[in-house]
Amino acid sequence: MTRPPVSEPPATHRWVDHTSEVELEVWAPDFAGVLAEAARALAGLLLRNRDAEPEGEPRVLEVESHDREALLVDWLNEVLFVAETRMWVPVRFEVLDASATHARVRTWGVPVDEAPSMVKAATFHGLEVREGADGCEAEVIFDV
Amino acid sequence: MSRRNPKPQKFDAAGKPPRPPRPPRTIVRYPSERLTPWLVEIPKSARADMLVPARVYADEALWERAIGDRTLEQLVNVATMPGITGHAFAMPDAHEGYGFPVGGVAAFRAEDGVISPGGVGYDINCGVRLLASEIQVEEVRDRIEPLVHDLSRTIPSGMGRGSGRGVVVEDMDRLLGEGCRYLLDQGLALPADLETTEAGGALPRADPGKVSDRARERGQGQLGTIGSGNHFVEVQRVERIFDPSAAAALGLREGQLTILIHTGSRGLGHQVCTDYVRSMDAVMARHGIQLPDRELACAPFHSKEGQAYFGAMCAAANFAFANRQAITHSARQVFRRAFGDGGGNGDGGLRLVYDVAHNMAKLEEHEEGPLLVHRKGATRAFGPSNAETPEAYRGVGQPVFIPGSMGTASWVLVGTDEAFGRSFGSTCHGAGRAMSRTAAKKVKPGQEVRKDLEDLGIVVRCAGAGELAEEAPHAYKDVDNVVEVVHQAGLARKVARLVPIGVIKG
Repeated sequence: MTRPPVSEPPATHRWVDHTSEVELEVWAPDFAGVLAEAARALAGLLLRNRDAEPEGEPRVLEVESHDREALLVDWLNEVLFVAETRMWVPVRFEVLDASATHARVRTWGVPVDEAPSMVKAATFHGLEVREGADGCEAEVIFDV
Repeated sequence: MSRRNPKPQKFDAAGKPPRPPRPPRTIVRYPSERLTPWLVEIPKSARADMLVPARVYADEALWERAIGDRTLEQLVNVATMPGITGHAFAMPDAHEGYGFPVGGVAAFRAEDGVISPGGVGYDINCGVRLLASEIQVEEVRDRIEPLVHDLSRTIPSGMGRGSGRGVVVEDMDRLLGEGCRYLLDQGLALPADLETTEAGGALPRADPGKVSDRARERGQGQLGTIGSGNHFVEVQRVERIFDPSAAAALGLREGQLTILIHTGSRGLGHQVCTDYVRSMDAVMARHGIQLPDRELACAPFHSKEGQAYFGAMCAAANFAFANRQAITHSARQVFRRAFGDGGGNGDGGLRLVYDVAHNMAKLEEHEEGPLLVHRKGATRAFGPSNAETPEAYRGVGQPVFIPGSMGTASWVLVGTDEAFGRSFGSTCHGAGRAMSRTAAKKVKPGQEVRKDLEDLGIVVRCAGAGELAEEAPHAYKDVDNVVEVVHQAGLARKVARLVPIGVIKG
């Protein structure tokens, strides 16, 4: 069995309140790190910050998009889709391959008794991905 | 209200210092002119890319709120979309959303205009239906608590496994294509229900083939379920009648027990929106469309992509009409257990007054010709003489229901003929959020919100304290204020005010 990564890459995130939505800001050394950190943050939201140790076999999720910003949105919507339809919330992530238009990520998750349907979608509103010498940062807004 | 949380909630593993808070985003101010005590206009000249002026229905207090966040910037963005006609409107309950503001109305020429999934929102055909009983609340006061508990047990939230799930749909294509007509065949609806549902509970342009397998998968097990967020089923009492003749036509009287159902197309609709925002974002450049916000992604109505979304959106809307109908069927089962067969006409003593959407794009005939009217967090409010107003309500106006926040009043209104020319036949949809979910939780924890409601004599059934805190009354604008503005502006007329006595949240 493939073990989930023990140490997380040096990445961070924070949530910003909107009147009716929530915005996520993410920083990581590179775009692959942003994908993993954004998904970790979303998992925390779906599980309402409940501590969750992954169990069972990992699943590999794959997304393809037409640009980097759309890829981030599509990736987060893939996590939402899996959480709602499989009643399984991915909480640990190992990015196997990431470009501006394609990502393949090994995920470890936790089963849930209730489908976490509080988040409807990741949106394109206010969407930004910036990469520089300092690393990569991104902003994405969720409809909740 | 500060838009930015000054304290990062998580720091990096390498122990680097926390990121500094970014300066607050600028709130853009636009020139504006107050036209009436209930209406403000932002002229077309306010920004070079506007194709039409924008109008905001608001009194002074609601206008102050609207200029406090990015509601107006989002409305001005909508005014730049190809084919928009008349004005871009914001209703008095409008607030900042994503792409369109919530409470936004925009009409696009069917001939050369666009259709936009973001202009409808992720919860396609989120809407409200009102059921009226023949029971006076005072006669059954001691039976309300068990009634609410039985409703809570019988109507699933739709989020759990097994019994927590909704009606099994044997033929999803028929459900998506025929909406409530399919439920009529399944014994879950009555002919009278279809007569008093917007569009008969079945939009004719639905194309089930344009709804993805992923959307169907998200919708499986969710028919007849409430869902989460601000969705609810409420047991209410008609507190006050404002228009006796309209109330009589709607079959409403003071003291009467009613049920209000507020939900939409659940995961199926969310996925349809996700699918088509994505596909339109990818083809906008090919159609020569450039917009200030990617969430406004759109395509010409007559393009392949526009027609595909319209077919899928209508199908998701049919799912939502059927969802509220299936919940109605469950509520009738509970009423039969509690109060007998209710006169033997098959409705269990619960008559459907009306069912109306508040997140939808409809192809409608207006003075300007055929228009695709997008209402996102806004309710269609057709007047007494409109052919689409149900026959039973001609001469009165199409019923409109404005749910307040949990634990506060809701309103029954009727549409006016004047609204057709003033807002493309549209009015408000609710109280409108005034506070973020995190801020609401800081003001009062869920346990205290529950106690407040119980102190008011309201029976509460809700899964979690967190959800209660997020949807607490103080997180919303004053629904009475919002309704007063649409009444005074002539967008809808006040008929009755309803107060909750039992709340069931997903």
